[in-house]
Amino acid sequence: MASQHRSIPRRIWKTLSSVATGITLLILTVIASAAGTFILQRPLTDPEQMLKAYSPATLRWLDAGQLTDVFHSWWFVSLLALLCLNIVFASLERFPTVWRYFSRPYRRPDAHFLTGLPLHVEIPVRSTRSGVEAAERAFRRLGMKPQHVGSGEEFSLYAERHRFARLAAYVVHLSLLLILGGGIVDAIWGYRGYMALTLDDKSNAIDLRDGTKKTLPFTVRCDGAGQENYADGSPRRWWSRLAVLEDGREVKRKEIEVNEPLVYRGLRFFQSGYGSTGQVGSIRLLAVSKKDPANSHELVLHPGENVSLDGDTEVRLAAFVPDLVINGNQIESRSDQPNNPAIQLAIRSKAAGDTRLWLFANFQAFAHSNSSPYDFKYKDLAMGYFTGLQVSYEPGQWAVWAGCILMGIGLMMAFYFVHIRYWAVPVNDGRGRLVLWVGAAASKNREQFEERFRRLVREIEQELKANTAAERRVKAAALVGA
Amino acid sequence: MMERAKAESHPVPSGNMLTVLVSLCVVFLLFTAFLGAVKRGELFTEQNLLYVALILYGAATVLYLGFGVTGIHRYVQAASLATWLGFLTNTLAVGHRWYIAGHPPFSSIYEMLLSFVWTLAALTIFVERRYHVQVIGTVTMPIATLSVILIQLLPSEVRPLVPALQSTWLHIHVSLAMLAYAACAVSFALAMMFLIQDRLRTETFLAATSAFLLSVYIGIATRFDPSGGLRLIAWDAQGKQEIFFAEKTRLMVVVPELGWFFFLVLAAVLVPLVLYFWATMNRIGSALTWANRAFFVGALLQVVALIAFILRVREGVYPSSQVEGLFATNLSASPFILAGLVGGVFASMLYLLLLWRRSDLERMLPSADTLDVLTYKTIGIGFPLLTLMIAAGAYWANRTWGSYWSWDPKETWALITWLVYAGYLHMRITRGWRGRRAAYFAIIGFAVVLFTFFGVTYLLRGLHAYA
Repeated sequence: MASQHRSIPRRIWKTLSSVATGITLLILTVIASAAGTFILQRPLTDPEQMLKAYSPATLRWLDAGQLTDVFHSWWFVSLLALLCLNIVFASLERFPTVWRYFSRPYRRPDAHFLTGLPLHVEIPVRSTRSGVEAAERAFRRLGMKPQHVGSGEEFSLYAERHRFARLAAYVVHLSLLLILGGGIVDAIWGYRGYMALTLDDKSNAIDLRDGTKKTLPFTVRCDGAGQENYADGSPRRWWSRLAVLEDGREVKRKEIEVNEPLVYRGLRFFQSGYGSTGQVGSIRLLAVSKKDPANSHELVLHPGENVSLDGDTEVRLAAFVPDLVINGNQIESRSDQPNNPAIQLAIRSKAAGDTRLWLFANFQAFAHSNSSPYDFKYKDLAMGYFTGLQVSYEPGQWAVWAGCILMGIGLMMAFYFVHIRYWAVPVNDGRGRLVLWVGAAASKNREQFEERFRRLVREIEQELKANTAAERRVKAAALVGA
Repeated sequence: MMERAKAESHPVPSGNMLTVLVSLCVVFLLFTAFLGAVKRGELFTEQNLLYVALILYGAATVLYLGFGVTGIHRYVQAASLATWLGFLTNTLAVGHRWYIAGHPPFSSIYEMLLSFVWTLAALTIFVERRYHVQVIGTVTMPIATLSVILIQLLPSEVRPLVPALQSTWLHIHVSLAMLAYAACAVSFALAMMFLIQDRLRTETFLAATSAFLLSVYIGIATRFDPSGGLRLIAWDAQGKQEIFFAEKTRLMVVVPELGWFFFLVLAAVLVPLVLYFWATMNRIGSALTWANRAFFVGALLQVVALIAFILRVREGVYPSSQVEGLFATNLSASPFILAGLVGGVFASMLYLLLLWRRSDLERMLPSADTLDVLTYKTIGIGFPLLTLMIAAGAYWANRTWGSYWSWDPKETWALITWLVYAGYLHMRITRGWRGRRAAYFAIIGFAVVLFTFFGVTYLLRGLHAYA
């Protein structure tokens, strides 16, 4: 009945901080996450595939409940937020007690504690002094450093180990909050996008996931990119040489590859793809002068670039078809691969006027035209390649990594460290006997701990026996001397 | 040699019989394997090492099972020795693989199984040494043996790594995953043993085993073809890979008759479950006897199904419903169906062992309290490993894809596993859950692990598709 008389805020607090609420939220999170893996999710799946998988009515319901994008839905985010709140409240509720354990170790047991502690024994001793000293030696033999509690002749012993283990649960929960906090920061302020660059190309715009573009305050230029293959032809390595330009000045340069990004101003550029653009990158030709056949020279043509052959003549690439096929009277390209390249050159000569001529790499590699001062012979070509860069900005990731490390530490503390405490207090038992009260407590693993406690008691008893034997010897010596 | 062993051991049915028999078998098999290897001129190859490990693990399995049934202590000593030796050869095989491939063996399902078996053997030895739970091998070593058999069937050549997989962090991630999953497997075995010691009724185990078998065969039944066949992924024997019909669509072949047969097995494993419910609802004891008989028949049918599956799928070409022509398939193309079948047979065997030898098992196992604490302790090892595994995976994903968390199915299920075990720990620590409820929680946790490991790869393919 008493609980019903509590004030409403108190009851809300109690509910939010209870373990039952936490477990309920945990179960709900599990169910929601599982649902998110079974139902096709929006940003990853194409709209057509969604329509194929679900009927329009079902899809409408799923969309209405945001079940097609569970992990970004308001209700999933609220679930996580409630879970965070539960962790915070539960910690606040329990922390003061645990902090007392930690900050003010209980060194001097009172009479009530002496009788109430489950694990304790009473060993008869001859004198306070000798009893405590024997216990101290036993403590030290087992690798513990006992503290003297109290002053003068009347002191007792206290030893403990791994006191910090008391805080383990809080460290773990704090780390969880750090990770979730980092995730929230990234969800709000972070972004991910894509940038495709061809050789020597530069850009400051990235295509974001949601289809919009974002302009960066600096420019990235691609100075080279390539792919290395295994013997069987599968890709082994992709790389790109990138340069960062700010106000036209080069400020950073790096060769990136998969797993090795370029980082600049918190933005990271990842190698994520590499492929042919379908455009030619460069063509190597031999130009033979008609006037002077001996005077032939090699030239390299890039798209959109004029190459001057002498003071009078220039040549440029007019058209390029990588995989030529004649379909009726139409020129088409069958693929993006240079299987049957056709090259059209535009020659501009002051003396002879403008001419265009075709070169077919596979079957007519030599082009001759009466109106051109040069003949051209095809040597080879290189296709243009683009490098695909994944761009991401995650300002919260450092909180996430810090949280991960902290969680590792916290779990270590929680599972592998036990706060153990030992007391040795000389007291008079009810029947007027002088005894050494030895007690111990462990924060967990009590069954195993009992064994350790028994060992300590055995050690103390042995020390006391040795003591008595030594005393007897001293007494005997004194008697002989007398 | 074998005959002599039989002749010698027959008149004396003592505790030595099985040990001697198994040792002679091991010596015989090793000797023939050695002769074969010498003939082929290659002695220390990974295949040979794995074969030796298989022989030793098999011997350990037989001895551990003998120990589980009879409780003769000598068996467990011999089994330990066999496990140790098997572990050593397994280590050599892993090392050899690492040396040949130039990267730690975690990049394909073959290599992962290799590492998993290694971890399982290591954990078995550890638990036996440290906690003196000698019977643990009765559960773990059969798993190890079956995994090594499975390894022999999978494509084993060293494949080049695609760029995204060339990362130390990936190796850390996968080794942590293997360790964590092995710890979860051990905690599952301990929780099961706890339930035996906690006097959970045998028929409850019957229902649970039948439910597991049912889920396996329902999973396989999703591949049922209307023509009565079973749809399997086609396999390119030359390229040693799956055949793709279009982008992201695998070419499927239909193995005739197999579909009907599997339906029959599905019905056979359903019968004991139906009988169990009927028996418990109407309180008829004789129905339970019939349920157990039906279970035995179902187990036999499963063995036949496994053999039929292996025989049909190993060789031969089959038509496809997608395109004209005949295509080959291979056991390597259906590792999960194979794993499900083998796992089903294994679970059935364990149940029959319990049914027939429960009193012996109870005598052999540690006390319920010890098992309860041990289950908690193994989860105490598994949970931090699970945490670190997720963290390492996130770090690797961040370096490769630029995002540490993208909610892909594998990630999400790893998180779900983590949450389930976190729930277990909270209930145990703050609510003082002990005994049966905690054991059920541990079992659910392992079921989730299994789903994360097999189910997600099989049913929900995401970024982890190549794993």
